[in-house]
Amino acid sequence: MPDTLVPAQADRELVRRMAAGDEAALGALHDRYATLLHSLVIRIVGDPDDAEEVLEETFWQAWRQAGRYEEGRGGLSTWLVMMARSRALDRIRSRRRVREERWEELPEPSYVEAGGSGDVPSPLESAQADEVRRVVASAVARLPPEQRQTVELAYFRGMSQTEIAEATGQPLGTVKTRARLALTKLRDALAVLREDAR
Amino acid sequence: MSPEMGHDDVRTALAAEALGALDGDEAEAVRAHLADCAECRSELEELREAAAALAHAAPPAPMDADRSARLRARLVARAAADRAGGAHDANPDAFSTGPALKAVAPPLSVPDDRGGVIPIARARERRGGMGGWLAAAAAVLLLIGVGAYAARMKGRYDALSERYASLDDERTRLVRSVARRDSTLASLSGAGVQVIELASTQRRAPNGRMFWDPATARWTFFAHDMPALKAGRDYQLWLITPAGPVSAGTFRPSPDGGAVVQATYPLPRDQLKAIAVTEEPAGGLPKPSGTPLIVGTYGTTE
Repeated sequence: MPDTLVPAQADRELVRRMAAGDEAALGALHDRYATLLHSLVIRIVGDPDDAEEVLEETFWQAWRQAGRYEEGRGGLSTWLVMMARSRALDRIRSRRRVREERWEELPEPSYVEAGGSGDVPSPLESAQADEVRRVVASAVARLPPEQRQTVELAYFRGMSQTEIAEATGQPLGTVKTRARLALTKLRDALAVLREDAR
Repeated sequence: MSPEMGHDDVRTALAAEALGALDGDEAEAVRAHLADCAECRSELEELREAAAALAHAAPPAPMDADRSARLRARLVARAAADRAGGAHDANPDAFSTGPALKAVAPPLSVPDDRGGVIPIARARERRGGMGGWLAAAAAVLLLIGVGAYAARMKGRYDALSERYASLDDERTRLVRSVARRDSTLASLSGAGVQVIELASTQRRAPNGRMFWDPATARWTFFAHDMPALKAGRDYQLWLITPAGPVSAGTFRPSPDGGAVVQATYPLPRDQLKAIAVTEEPAGGLPKPSGTPLIVGTYGTTE
């Protein structure tokens, strides 16, 4: 069962151990999620040193707040991803004040084709994770370019809808519609995974 | 004050909320609605999960093996020290990224009777034996110490707030700058953008070029070698149509004679006959009064 959608037993156990103060569980959490989180964070911040610091802050936050993790509000990876993204965006926002050119230096997206990741090691080294990535990447790749751009600017650059409208020269209402359509399609694609998992 | 939003409006905005892309007032209104609407909360959770799944779509980029091993060792060591030093966060808002924040607050202490510093716990132990005056003195010194510490923290908070406001302003400025640049690039590079050459009517050879994107009705005009203007005068850009000239704005060239004008004006292709620039009184006129300085005809470049 994909861990993105339903908290796996292993995730529950990791969280329980961390909340109980077992530091080995934090090491195991790192082993399980470092590649996924690093792929996201490096996509946002672009710099390996910054990415490492963001990852350390994220895992440390997970350690300190393990007792507050609510399984009912989403999978462990969702929780970790939200924390990592938030900290990565904070990092680039503070950096942009002195390095405006970083806007252009951010790596361009290159989504994995639906066929899989090829020779690139699996982030979670599991077929389930590969399946999640395949479905998500395929769903993103199928989005119309303007919807994909809207989601990318919001998710990977942390721009608000108003900022996206200004940056793309599109009416605010159009940006809102694109964001809604894109994320709804992505949600529907994930629902397929849920069905498959049953 | 946040605007009121109905259930349907909030549902429409939930995707943006899940992406963290709502602007201030709207975000506030959505969150106020969520507090009382289980249906919207449930939908938001699904959309948040979908947004989080975008992390899986980022190109896989494993961390360098040495770097990853060092990070892991550091995390486990910090966690072991943390466990030895105390419990995890009991207060959700008291999250700390490490021991650094603990070090901010100095241990409360009072001077001992030899002028040194002893922990407050010891002072309490000795209070009964040394008499009421010592307890009173300790209390006064404690209040002074706490007051000084609070004042220092308040100063630090104010400085950080000011810094945050400054950074936020800078961020807003940069976002607008990027938006302007992207907008200009989009108006120059669109697939349907038309390019119209303008030739000089003067010996000094000022010239210009108009980029027209009929799809977005955006007009971007670049001028070169424009003669300097006298005070009280502007150049005015005109779109010449069968119904007459339409003003596309006024401009003053830079010292080197260059200028850029952008305008948005919908115009069917068959309505544009020419582009022209005239010199007019500052602020421009509804109709051109001067002789065109540069002119470009349209219709042969399509």
